[in-house]
Formats: sequence, structure tokens, C-alpha cells
Amino acid sequence: MIVEIGHIFLIGALVVSFIAGFSPLLRFLTKDNFYYMVIGPMNNLVCLFIFLSLISLIYSFLVDDFSVAYIANNSNTLLPTYYKFAATWGAHEGSLLLWIFCLCLWSTTYFFINRQKDEEFVALTLSVLNQIIFAFIAFTIFTSNPFERILPVVPIEGADLNPLLQDFAFTIHPPLLYLGYSGLAVPFALSLSALISKKIDSVWAREARPWSLLSSGFLTLGIALGSWWAYYELGWGGWWFWDPVENAAFVPWLISVAMFHSLIVTEKRGIYKNWSILLSILAFAASILGTFLVRSGILTSVHVFALDPERGVFILAIFSYFILGSLIFYSFLNNKLPGRSTYNLTSKEFGFLLNNILLVILALSIMFGTLFPLIYEALNDGDQISVGAPYYEILILPFALALSILQGVGLYLSWSSTKQFNFLNRVAIESFSIFVILSLLVFFIFGTLSWGTFLAIAMFSWIFSGNLVDAVYQSTQLQELKSILIKRFGMISAHLGTAFLILGVGIVTTFSLERDVVLQKGESYKLGSTHFIFKEIQEAKRLNYSFQSADIEIREEGLIDQISPEKRNYLSSNQVMTEAAIKPTLLQDYYVTLGEQVGDGTWTFKLQIKPFIRWIWFGAILIALGTFVSSYRYVKRL
Amino acid sequence: MHPIRKQRLYVVLSILLGTAVAAFLVFKGLSENINLFYSPSDLKKEKISVDNQIRVGGMVKKDSINKENNSLRTSFVITDFEEDLLITYEGILPDLFSEEAGIVAKGKINEEGTFIANEVLAKHDENYMPPEVAKTLKDKK
Repeated sequence: MIVEIGHIFLIGALVVSFIAGFSPLLRFLTKDNFYYMVIGPMNNLVCLFIFLSLISLIYSFLVDDFSVAYIANNSNTLLPTYYKFAATWGAHEGSLLLWIFCLCLWSTTYFFINRQKDEEFVALTLSVLNQIIFAFIAFTIFTSNPFERILPVVPIEGADLNPLLQDFAFTIHPPLLYLGYSGLAVPFALSLSALISKKIDSVWAREARPWSLLSSGFLTLGIALGSWWAYYELGWGGWWFWDPVENAAFVPWLISVAMFHSLIVTEKRGIYKNWSILLSILAFAASILGTFLVRSGILTSVHVFALDPERGVFILAIFSYFILGSLIFYSFLNNKLPGRSTYNLTSKEFGFLLNNILLVILALSIMFGTLFPLIYEALNDGDQISVGAPYYEILILPFALALSILQGVGLYLSWSSTKQFNFLNRVAIESFSIFVILSLLVFFIFGTLSWGTFLAIAMFSWIFSGNLVDAVYQSTQLQELKSILIKRFGMISAHLGTAFLILGVGIVTTFSLERDVVLQKGESYKLGSTHFIFKEIQEAKRLNYSFQSADIEIREEGLIDQISPEKRNYLSSNQVMTEAAIKPTLLQDYYVTLGEQVGDGTWTFKLQIKPFIRWIWFGAILIALGTFVSSYRYVKRL
Repeated sequence: MHPIRKQRLYVVLSILLGTAVAAFLVFKGLSENINLFYSPSDLKKEKISVDNQIRVGGMVKKDSINKENNSLRTSFVITDFEEDLLITYEGILPDLFSEEAGIVAKGKINEEGTFIANEVLAKHDENYMPPEVAKTLKDKK
């Protein structure tokens, strides 16, 4: 019963979003602006329907209604209640519903913030958003309906949620990521309604900026959480695999970052208008393509759920409608956007331009590498290839370097032209001293240095000094410094976040230690300066799995601890899963994975030491914090 | 030069420079990091140099997994139902590696025709086959 109600709400949302989405066309018939009044409430109604629909799906999961195919495939009576709840978005169908719900949250938030504003503009934006919502609901209902029943024979037991996904980080990873993906629809819709109503100006840029900042922030958190999850859950100790699906989230992230930087220039100087609009289209294209890559199953990836060409064709149709449609709109309606102010090579404008060129070219090159196996297969008669991680590593290094250099000088540039061009020697002293101190510290800790570490430390010092020291120079009193720091908090936090992230990446890639070993009970292995001692192994049972766990003692100067990696056997799916044990410290993580028994009391283990790895996620949190603070300030000023 | 013209020149030059650097890196990166995929039958037909890193895939044959005692070394046979390929690997195998599971291995082939893997992937979903393997198995069945 509840399932049918959820299904009906979903169909209701489909109908209402269709009417709301295409209501501007009514204007041609009725010649009045009646739709301005109704589109807002209709939009909220869609949001409510989707919410109720999602709730009824969650409810059906909680009561183990296995007559629903989706629930039978992804849940189980033995599953702990919290995971039954999160299993709602454990696979394709439910996560689509969540995607739509996220988009509805955005459109409703947009409506409530702007309901007092320019009616036509808000109505147009909402209609674009509702067209998107409509397309995705249609996709859900016609190709991947989570409410489909298995009748007449109802299974007594469900197939279980993939054990890898029975994890806290996983439960919040999709919602965050989807908020990021779907949030990119808002700047896209704003651009279209600005094109149609010919209001591409500073006001538009100021309005679009917080939404692109927020999407960026949620994408950052979603990606970081995914990386953290992969790190401790997959048992390989890797934090980034250049997997197609990771790239599918990274590319929109890069473009959204480019977009909110470009919007600053559009807002403050009235230029780069065309570019900002194109970026918002590109960002939304990347977001749909991301969804497409995850869902279509055309690329080998750890995330692929199902192979179904019909879905692929459907998403491709959605993609063409919105992206080609908006590009056609753009080419007809932009008719030479006015507004030109001049700038030279030392200006802030040019700095932002370089930032955008770098980010977008990097994004496109990563996309190219991700799609290249498909292109190759088409050109070479079905020969299959994969593009290895080194491709991306070669690619990203020079771009990261150039972007870091920009981040370190950006603040010293003025609009139009920078008069006093002495920032180089100012930043140089500070960054050089930080560089020397850090290098010595790292050398002291690890006893060695490599060029990769040097580079990472150099970038860190450059960004760090470039963002903080300028504030110190500009202020004569402590009070003044405080107010500058508060004013720039969002930017400084995000830029320092990238600095910490770069430092973490640089050090973890150079100083990580890893060894697969065979250990007998009581035996110890020395990795770096750490002893790992295999003490004991025992077997036991928990709620929905049985497991073996090994006790491993870690001994190092000033540290003795014991951790217990596990090997689990999930009862309902009979699936084996290793659960790595991690001992985190400020400077490094000790990471042990249990392999298998290879003799009497003899087991295999993977031992790893991961220095500075936490700094990567710490950096990501700072970036997200920065974007949230900045967007909050923008919304407050609106 | 007129300032706006000059400005446009800067823009065009930076885009060209950025694109050129990216294009260079893309070609360099792709030429060095493409791993071709072969099925066991492909390997019988084609001679692959012992220096080339390739990927192979297929289904792990029943009763073919051979683990050495007190060691990390494992050997197993994969099949596409036409030809077989012996693979050796030293290290911890993924959780989902088992008999009759679809796997993809990365590594090099040696003079005796044995595949020395440095990475073995079995995907995370027990119902899931890597697309390459699924295609290979479908073609041969």
C-alpha cells in the first residue's frame, strides 16, 4: 500500500513538474503572466511529492517489503536498521530518486530566497529547473523504477546490501555528492533565464555565484568522503584511483571552481559574461555526463551497478535536450553582450583568465582520458584498452603547479593593472622561509627528501604565504588584520585547503611504505622503523556476518598499540570482505589488511604506512568550509 | 596596438599555450599508459612482446587455483571457454577473487607463455563482470 502511495506521488511529481516546466509556453496562448503566480507553488508541490515518495521508499525498506524488486535486491532482514535506511540509495533506482530529491531541495531553496524578486526571472529559472526535474523523474519511472513489484511470488528474504556499502561514510557520501551534482543545475537555469530575459549583468553574476560555490563545496565533501571511504574500506590503502567515476565527479568540480572564479570578474568588472554562461552550461553538462558515466555501465569502474543500454540512450537524450538546446539558445540570444573594460597582463582579470583556462583545459583533458577507451574501441574495431593512472598523474602535475603559482600571487594583483609590481620579492621571503623550515621538518621526520616532496612543500609555502602574508602587510593594527581575515575567510580557507591537500598528496605519494608479507603467529616484520607483530587470530560472529580477526601489535619509538584487521563473511550474500585496521596518528597512518591463511597459524598480511594522508581530507574540508562561508555571505547580501 | 586588441591577443595566446601543453601531455600520457586488453584466445593468436604491459581477463577455471604454502604466490588459470591462460601472482588477492569469478589482471607475459600479474582485479559486486570479460565470454559462448 505504502509502495503504491510512493509510486503515485512520483507520478504526481512527474505531471506537476511537466506543467511547471513548460508553463512559460502558456504565455503564447493566454498572453498574460498568470504562470508567474503558480510556478512557485507548483515547484514546491513537486518537492513535497518527491519527499513523500522518498519517505515511502525508506519506510518500505525499514519494514522489509521484499515484494518490491529494488528492496529485495538491496536489503535483507539481518541488515542493521540504520543500513536498511541507507540502503534506500544503495543502488541505481533509489539513488536516482535521491538525486531528484536533492535537485528539488535546490529549486525550493532558490524559490524561497528569491520569491520577492523579479517575477519573470524567477519564474523562468524555476521552469528550467522543473524541466530538468521532469526529465529525471521520467527517466526513473520509465527505465529504473524503484517501486516496481515482484509479483506474484514474493521472496521471503532479500539479497542484501553490498557489504562494502554497509558503512557510515557510504551512507552520507551519495547525498553530498548528489547535492553537488544537482546544485550545478541552478547556475545553469539562471544562465538560461538571464539569456532569455536579456539580463546578463552584475546582478545575475552575484546571484549565480553562491549556487556555484555551494555545488562546489558539496562536490568537495562528496569526493573527499568517497576517497576516505575507498581508503579504509577497499583495503588497498589507496585514496584516489583515477577511476572513471571519480573522474566523473572531479571534472564538474574543476569546472564549478572555474565558474565561481569567472563569476567574480563578471560581477566586479562586467566582463567574461559569455564565458561565465558557457561555463555554467559546461558544468551542468559535466554533471549529467557524470551521472551518465556512473549509471550506464559503459566503462569499467568499481562503481558500476548495472549494464543497461536503454538507460544510456535515455540519459543521452536528456543530455542532448538540455545541453544542445541551451547552446542553441545561447548562440541566438547572446547577440554581442556589451561591457568591456580593459586590463593588462599584470591585472587581476588576467589572473582569473589564466585560472579559468588552466582549470577548464585540465577538466577537458581528464574527461578525454576517461572517455578515450570508448573512442579507441570505436575506432579500432572493438579492441579494448584502459588508460592507466600515470596518464592523469603526468597531466595534473604541471596544471597543479601553475594553479598554485596563481593562488600565491592572486591577492597581490589589482583590477585592470597592478601598479606596484613588487609582490614577487615580498612573497618570496616569506614563502622561502616557510619552505626551508618545512623542508627541514620533513627531512627530520623521514630522513630523506625527494624532488616531488620539494615541489609539494614549495607549492604549500607559496600558497600559504601568498594568502596570509598579504593580509598582514595590508594592516597596520591587529584590529585591522582581524577584519581583513574575517572578510576574506572563505577565500583564505579554501586556498589554504588546497595547500594542505597538495602537501598531503606530495608526501603520501613519496613516503608511503607498503609490503605484502607472510607471518607466523608470534612473528614480527619491520617496515621502515615500525615493527608489526602478529599476536593472535580468533573467530567470532556479529549481527549479519562471521569474521576472523588478527591482533597486530605496532611498535615504534613512543608508540605501542594493537589493531585488529578482520576478514568478514556476510551470511546472507556469502560474500567475503576484508576490513582493514588503521591506527591514525597526526603524522602517519598504520594500515594493516588481513589476507588469508596459507599454512598452520600462518597468514598473509598487507602492511602499510601512510604519512600525512589525513592532511588530504583535512585540506578538502577547509576548501568546502571556504565555499560554504563565502556563499553564505553572498546569500545574506542578496 | 589598441588596448582591446592587445587584450584579445593575450587571451588567444594563453589559450593556445594552455592547449598546446595539454595536448602534448595528453599524447605523451596516452602513448605511455595505454594497456591493451587481451582474452586468452587473442594471446594464442598474437605474439606479444615480453616487455609490454597488457591486461588480460576471463573466468577463473574451477580447481585451478594453486596457493603455495607459507608464501604469497598464487597461480591460477583463466579461460574464455576456448583457450586457457596460466597466471601467477605474488601478493594478496582481492576479496571477490574466487573460482568462476570474472577477473582482469594487469602484467606481462613471459617467454613460456605464463602471465606474470602485478595487479589482479575482481570487481566489487558478486553479480558484476568487468565489461571486457563479459564481452569476451559472450563472444566465445
